[in-house]
Amino acid sequence: MQRCLTVLLLLALCLVVAFAQTAPVDAMRENTPKVFALTNARIVVAPGNVIAKGTLVVRNGTIQAVGANVQSPADARVFDLTGYTLYAGLIELSSDIGAPKPPPQSGPQQQADTLKGSAHWNRKIRAELDIAQEFSPDDKAAEKLRSQGFTLALSTPQRGIFRGYSALVQLGDGTASELIAKRNVAQNVTFEVTGGFFGGYPNSLMGVVAMIRQTWMDADWYRKAWDSYNKNPNQSRPETNNSLAALQDALQRRQTVMFQADDERALLRAAKIGKEFSLNLIIRGSGNEYKRLDAVKATKLPVVVPLNFPEAPDVDTPEEAVNATLETLRHWDAAPENAGRLEKAGVSIALTSATLKDAGTFLAQVRKAIERGLSTDAALAALTTTPAKWIGVEKNYGTLEAGKVANIVVTDGDLFAEKTKIREVWVDGKQYEVKPPPATDARGTWELMAFVDGQNQTATLKVAGEAEKPSGSVEWNGKSLKLNSPTFSAGRLAFTLATDSVGLKGSTQMSGSVSASEMYGIGNLPDGSAFSWSATRKEPAKAESDTSKPKEIHMASFADVYPPGAYGRTKQPDQPANVLFKNATVWTQGPQGKLEGTDVLVTRGKITRIGKNLQAPSDAVIVDATGKHMTPGMIDAHSHTAADGSVNEGAQNVTIETSIEDVIDSDDIWIYRQLAGGTTAANILHGSANPIGGRNATVKWRWGALPDEYLLAGAPPGVKFALGENVKGSNFNPPGGQQTPYPATRMGVEQIIRDKFKAARDYQQAWKDWERDKSNIPPRKDIELDAVSEILSGKRLVHCHSYRQDEILMMIRIADDFGFRIGTFQHVLEGYKVADAIAKHGAGASSFSDWWAYKIEAWEAIPGNGPLMAAQGVVVSYNSDNSQLATRLNWEAAKAIPFGVSEEEALKFVTINPAKQLGIADKVGSLEVGKDADIAVWNGNPLSTYTKCVQTWVDGRRYFDIDEDKQMRETVQHERAALIQKVLASKGSAPASAASRRPAMSSRPNDNHFHTCDESAEIHMEGYYNEN
Amino acid sequence: MRTNSFRPNAKASGRAFLFLGEDAFELVVKVILSIVFLSQFSLASDPVPAAKQKKPVALVGGTIHTVSGETISNGTILFDKGKIVTFGQTVNIPADAERVDITGKHVYPGLIDSYSNMGLTEIGSVRGTIDGQERGTINPNTRAEVAVDAESEMYPVARSSGILIAGSTPSGGLISGTSAALMMDGWTWEDMTLKAPLGLFINWPGMVYVQGGFGGFGGGGQMTKENWLKRRDEQLKSLRDAFAEARAYATAKKVESQRGVPYHQTDSRWEAMIPVIEGKVPVFVNANEVAQIQAAVTWAEQEAVKLVIVGGRDAWQVSNQLKAKDIPVIVQPILFVGPPRRYDGYDAIYSLPNKLREAGVRFCISGDGDASNSRNVPHHAATAAAFGLPKDDALKAVTLYAAQILGIADRVGSLETGKDATLIITNGDPLELSTTVEQAYIQGKKIDMRDKHKRLYQKYQEKYKQLSEK
Repeated sequence: MQRCLTVLLLLALCLVVAFAQTAPVDAMRENTPKVFALTNARIVVAPGNVIAKGTLVVRNGTIQAVGANVQSPADARVFDLTGYTLYAGLIELSSDIGAPKPPPQSGPQQQADTLKGSAHWNRKIRAELDIAQEFSPDDKAAEKLRSQGFTLALSTPQRGIFRGYSALVQLGDGTASELIAKRNVAQNVTFEVTGGFFGGYPNSLMGVVAMIRQTWMDADWYRKAWDSYNKNPNQSRPETNNSLAALQDALQRRQTVMFQADDERALLRAAKIGKEFSLNLIIRGSGNEYKRLDAVKATKLPVVVPLNFPEAPDVDTPEEAVNATLETLRHWDAAPENAGRLEKAGVSIALTSATLKDAGTFLAQVRKAIERGLSTDAALAALTTTPAKWIGVEKNYGTLEAGKVANIVVTDGDLFAEKTKIREVWVDGKQYEVKPPPATDARGTWELMAFVDGQNQTATLKVAGEAEKPSGSVEWNGKSLKLNSPTFSAGRLAFTLATDSVGLKGSTQMSGSVSASEMYGIGNLPDGSAFSWSATRKEPAKAESDTSKPKEIHMASFADVYPPGAYGRTKQPDQPANVLFKNATVWTQGPQGKLEGTDVLVTRGKITRIGKNLQAPSDAVIVDATGKHMTPGMIDAHSHTAADGSVNEGAQNVTIETSIEDVIDSDDIWIYRQLAGGTTAANILHGSANPIGGRNATVKWRWGALPDEYLLAGAPPGVKFALGENVKGSNFNPPGGQQTPYPATRMGVEQIIRDKFKAARDYQQAWKDWERDKSNIPPRKDIELDAVSEILSGKRLVHCHSYRQDEILMMIRIADDFGFRIGTFQHVLEGYKVADAIAKHGAGASSFSDWWAYKIEAWEAIPGNGPLMAAQGVVVSYNSDNSQLATRLNWEAAKAIPFGVSEEEALKFVTINPAKQLGIADKVGSLEVGKDADIAVWNGNPLSTYTKCVQTWVDGRRYFDIDEDKQMRETVQHERAALIQKVLASKGSAPASAASRRPAMSSRPNDNHFHTCDESAEIHMEGYYNEN
Repeated sequence: MRTNSFRPNAKASGRAFLFLGEDAFELVVKVILSIVFLSQFSLASDPVPAAKQKKPVALVGGTIHTVSGETISNGTILFDKGKIVTFGQTVNIPADAERVDITGKHVYPGLIDSYSNMGLTEIGSVRGTIDGQERGTINPNTRAEVAVDAESEMYPVARSSGILIAGSTPSGGLISGTSAALMMDGWTWEDMTLKAPLGLFINWPGMVYVQGGFGGFGGGGQMTKENWLKRRDEQLKSLRDAFAEARAYATAKKVESQRGVPYHQTDSRWEAMIPVIEGKVPVFVNANEVAQIQAAVTWAEQEAVKLVIVGGRDAWQVSNQLKAKDIPVIVQPILFVGPPRRYDGYDAIYSLPNKLREAGVRFCISGDGDASNSRNVPHHAATAAAFGLPKDDALKAVTLYAAQILGIADRVGSLETGKDATLIITNGDPLELSTTVEQAYIQGKKIDMRDKHKRLYQKYQEKYKQLSEK
């Protein structure tokens, strides 16, 4: 080792010598031999392939030979590494090293920084950005990564949705040309939402998803368009677009796409997009993958796993503890097992230091993951062979086999053992110190001689502790003097002694240079007189026995539930072959009306019989509903529950390319709460920021299911339109005195909508023209115009947010002119003024029962609106637009009764009528034979304010039961208490380890934040209402 | 939505539809609507404030729900000069009295919305109609009643649902100002004011930092914990300082006529707080989390002021203290808020009033604070009843208990001899959404039951009548 250190100084002086460089040498050439033999080391050639004692030869940056019987070449510098272990250098697949830092999330800087040349029109699409052209060596970051054993990192661009190409860089020192080992390794895509409401399109998660899809389509079109043009230049030249050109390799699977997924739902979302476009995907994960392990496994995608385990929640006082959700506590408890669980599930993983606040804590985090179930071989593979293979550099990196690049980690033990230290790292055959052992060691027992006051004094010096943090004492004249402030640095030991007890009042200072067997030093007595001293070693340092207790490992306390946290279940509720509800008052809401003392038989999720005294099949689950009322599960025709991110893509007037289906938040606790109120299905809508908003999702509340499993199969697709104050920006002011965008009037709103329908017709015509001669440039496939075309052909339902009668009528006339029928008017608070026109057109009306006066266009809203429209033949529903209101739609319905609406008709406002409006009345909305068994059971008349829901069934599965709910609360209490105890115990025993850079992504705060029609990243409603 | 007094037979008609198909239903509705229209056309105009009660009125033959005492079936209630004279199964009705047959109907005390922006906000998005929140954080001298718009469309709509009294409350800042008890009828705010000030409104600072939470109820917003706690402590100090300074001011003014004590210039803020620090006017403190409530109780005791907790989402957890100190809670609201924490039971708020009742804490239930939703106050109370609160208590929570907590139980909240004749006649339980409030009396004045919603309803009935005539 000593020689090794000497060499190091020389090496440090010379730059990486050119192996194959173009730069001229304009000074003295340096040709120090770069041949090294690392001998007597334990060599971990690859995971599971270990040479107990062997030699590794490095020649000019490459491993020339490795093996137990390899001889050191005659021209090699030989390092005796007895007691040390060699590993292949670790590979970091998600790094920002040397990449330009992302700008602030909003503000003028963001506006200013756009790509030059023929860039994409959207500055968030930056696929052409090549980090190899931006990379600037960052010695400090490289040193930090080397301290954790990394020798190679994928430098990744840091801004935008399509971010550009990453490059593989060596973590040594040198110029960018010398460090970049491979260019264009992967295209990088994220779901990052930036910029806030006025920060440019897209400003919502669903907008980002749509933008990603459209961009891949555009890339495909771009190739076809240029192919066509190159063959036949006699047509309009297509645009030149650097980003679309840059995506061609990825689209042809010639290049990997690294997709950053900041929670487990994002991973599934990315997988879906990857599949749609046949991309070769690697997921940059979040650490939450274990929460949906089976689904993650089913994607068969490789995952780069961060290790930013959450900090222990604040539970020191009862009032703090009360705010720790079960989900947060469970995530804290289970997150360190994420990598291990992925390994056991057979998911291909790599590990990354990304998202750690301090990359220097990475190995500690890996060790924690290993304690919590990750195997050491898998951990090593996840840092060496696996990442090398994913990015196609396995021939050069990832193992210590001959012929590979000499990227080596030298440790004083098993890399993943608690106390192991990395001594040095080799990058490109060049040695970098990480933590070299001191060249000399002062520890041990020494005989000390000092010439003090003209006399030779003899004493014993004992030095113990850590080499660089020594402790000890001087035994003199029968007294033991403790070494005060001892230091050992650069081969010199220094300390002071309180020498009062030996007759020298005050402190005596001493320091000396240490060699293997001698010390020579100087000192000052308290009176200032100097003396000299020397010492000779009597005994070497004794190995101190390890007195620390073996670490107790606590695995996660509780099995996973879906969704994670309170009220989750270990699996979906069973769907019994038969369920017989006995002796209920059955509100069929169908032709049979209300039936007393009636039985309902459900078979495999469908209603199969309704009648009196039905015979129960032998296997039937019997529900005694005596004294109970049964109604269809209620349907909310205007919901914003269960949407990830903002429900408004507000940065364009037409955002029909976005879809709520892409952003279903399967874990929204309001889903369960709505089930507890008898609601089973919902129309989740985009907000009302723009005349033509995003697409809806028609869902059933299958609590615990995966996002896509919520979708109600066979429901016609829909889209949100909006009119009036919101879309003309009446009630908000853009920052910095900007004007609100077009349209600013109801006149403009009409023109925007009409213009888009015309555009869709033009688009259809363009496709027809192209069909005639397909050698021409094809029309650009436009998600937006495809969806608008679906409206025109009657395949997509328009759900139109509206208030005033003029705009309702205006919208009807547009639909009439373009030959389609509007699905529903939403809110439609002045619908009662033009109910005849709505009825004639055939649109449904989905309204509030009684909200009014919250803005000018709601000033003439009346609670008789629904009844008046119903009386004119309009199919009327009452909706929530508010997650809490959706837990009690039956009471909303009851508000129609004083207007002469019968109880059954009133209940239709929240059952069969919304089902009709959403085009799902053949499946749900009434209790009829053949329909889905979506049922609410009540302890009384469902329209009484004193009644509550006791059971809710979806697809013949019992998703809510008031008694089961009580048990679940006990479980919640028990689990929270146990985990809080665990947090308290952990805080008492161990200091918090590496903190994550940000709170774990899917730890939900306790807020009661509702999505709102109007919301955006910057605008939050005050008060309780969702519709403004 | 008990707004349909102009169509007393609506409920019975509705039942008849049970046996009809959908199309038939529409037809019948059309017919009935046109009949209703013809007979009620004169109602389609602006409601007019009622004249003072000129002669005794006897409501005869209904069920009298006194709330404070027993319920009298087939009873009569007599009121004169705005006050209740007597009630019972046998009542001597003066010869000059107006007799109103209420057979089959029910009489209840007028309902009370104990906490709202009634009269102070008309249209939520129009700043010109909003007068509930003054600039600054220490506004003890602002008074709700003087900004109450007597022309607001909110009162007729509220009273159509039986709400006859509202605690109109300023908002915002630390000390928002004083609230007033309003009657839902009158030509001016002075006519309408039953009592003012009711109490001084204080918004207690959030006490517990929650990372990533929202700024309000215990939420930390985007601030760091350190900054958040600093802000909290500044707010607490600001509140303590206001009371200390008000006391100093009161003392200085009290002794300024004494020899050697100079005159002190006036300070309207501290002047307004003298009745509070003298214990004559209570403080209403918005507080939801445990630490807020306990801090407010301790503080109120130190300041020797009378305290009412408003909000009180976690109040059941500190019920021992609230009971021991006899601190009442205005539970607010029951609807439109979720359980405080993700893991809480879905009915955490619904069941809160009953938990307080079981623990012996005085409480009442208000609406969500928004005047336009005042009409849903009975709905809030009934929901608590669906989740455990006895129905009687649910009714008291919006009548007698509310009056007691607001300090107006000598006037309203129950039907008792000598109290104001502020009452409603209904066709059923006022806490049921299907019930209609047919008539209201405020201090014996017969209230014009027209409102904006009925007017528009009737106006557009006329449209469809015209269309059907062809």
